Amino acid sequence: MKELKFLIAIWKTNLQSAMEYRGAFLTQVIGMIANNFIYFAIWIIFFNRFKDVRGWGINDMYVTFGVLASAFGLVSLLFGNAFTLSDIIAKGRLDYYLSLPRPVLLHTVASRTIASGMGDFIYGFISYGMSGYFTWDGLARFVLAMLLAATVFAAFLILTQSLAFWFGMMTNFSNLVLNAMLTFGIYPITLFDSYAKLILFTIIPAALMGAIPAEFIRAFTWTTLGQLLLGAIGFLSLAIFIFNTGLRRYESGSAIQIEV
Amino acid sequence: MKTFSKYWSIFQITLINSLAYPGELVGRSLMIIPFMWIFYQLWKVTFSAAGADGGMISGLTLRDTLWYLMLAETIELGRPPIARTMSESVKDGSIAYILNKPYDFLLYQFSTAMGETIFRAMLNAVFGGLTVWWLVGAPNHPEGFLIALPAILGAWVLHFCINAMIGLSAFVVEDVSAFTWIYQKFSFIFGGMLIPLDFYPQWLQTIAKFLPFSSAIYGPSRLFVTPTAEFFISVMTLQLAWIFVLVFLLIVAYRRGLTQLTVNGG
Repeated sequence: MKELKFLIAIWKTNLQSAMEYRGAFLTQVIGMIANNFIYFAIWIIFFNRFKDVRGWGINDMYVTFGVLASAFGLVSLLFGNAFTLSDIIAKGRLDYYLSLPRPVLLHTVASRTIASGMGDFIYGFISYGMSGYFTWDGLARFVLAMLLAATVFAAFLILTQSLAFWFGMMTNFSNLVLNAMLTFGIYPITLFDSYAKLILFTIIPAALMGAIPAEFIRAFTWTTLGQLLLGAIGFLSLAIFIFNTGLRRYESGSAIQIEV
Repeated sequence: MKTFSKYWSIFQITLINSLAYPGELVGRSLMIIPFMWIFYQLWKVTFSAAGADGGMISGLTLRDTLWYLMLAETIELGRPPIARTMSESVKDGSIAYILNKPYDFLLYQFSTAMGETIFRAMLNAVFGGLTVWWLVGAPNHPEGFLIALPAILGAWVLHFCINAMIGLSAFVVEDVSAFTWIYQKFSFIFGGMLIPLDFYPQWLQTIAKFLPFSSAIYGPSRLFVTPTAEFFISVMTLQLAWIFVLVFLLIVAYRRGLTQLTVNGG
């Protein structure tokens, strides 16, 4: 409860800070919504010509892209530093968070808001609304699936970026796995054979961010809910464990850092 | 000649600088591998489901499509983020140190952009090419790469002009990220970066093929897989026309932008 109050206070401060430059904030939000609409036009063109990919049609793409965009946006908004955690570790910027009486990981990742994330978050709901699958109980499932997908995504970022405790600067690797996660998440899962699917549930858990949440939104099943819950709890526990293990190895050059 | 040598030196310095961190260069270029793999999965299923006539959709085989996409990705992933760099230099005030040097701002930016592009694109082509070769075999026209080379260089000039114009808008609005995202997505759609323009509905093909985005991506990539003399002439003519128009607009935008620039720090 104490940590939740702390988180809400950080998020409020982050939002106020982002809103200080209201013009830039709105440009980023509206720009990102427009950006997503334009990107999705490619899939409209594709399915207009080829109709479906092994039973996967444009309506499924609306739901998949929607839940993935909202989950991505939520993590960008609430845990913006998860995207740059490896830089923070490698450059010794954890010193600041270590010196304060709050959970290091939570404080670090929640200390930045990426304004454009609001655009992604909003767009996801619009995309779901346009999918033709919209129902009120479906919307409730959309919110739940999006929260679980966001948990998997945040955990995946923390997990991969925490490798910086062992390997130092790894911006390229982080970008590579981030891009792989998003790219594989948006493509129809019916494209992949069973080996590729195994990878998409484990090493790069893109299926838990796109296809499985989309399946759960379209129709409730205990299996998909179980997969999402298991994925979210499993990846989050693993991410926290890896971060804490790595933290024991952390050392910095006591460089003077300013956190704004 | 002396003026040219100045920019040639800037180009060479940036080129050598780009090799200073080979791990970084290689790491960044590896990104093309998962992209090509997923394109292969998508188009393999699509070609098979479409019951492609003679293994072809709109004149392209699966192999052509994959090699086309490899070059399109190489052009896109090879280009440096000029707009963002220019925007950052306006925000942190460092642009003041560039503007007061004895060289032309735009030519300086162009020389550095090209210096950063060469090795980045080469490595993307190597990793992308090896992946596609492994997945679908050698290109049907390996000589197409040489024929497409002038169009690839022209594509980077076009990319530079549009990106520099976006970057210059930082003189007025400071943050240009929204414009760069939207430009990138227009490149995806009208450039035919994820789907060759030949697969589009006819009306959209007609519009897209006339726009500069297609000269920057579709033209060179299609030329690579269909290296005919007529197509070469058609691609180069349209591309040169767009280069003239965009260079003119860029110079006008730069002159106007300078009068509105406010340097905040440095």
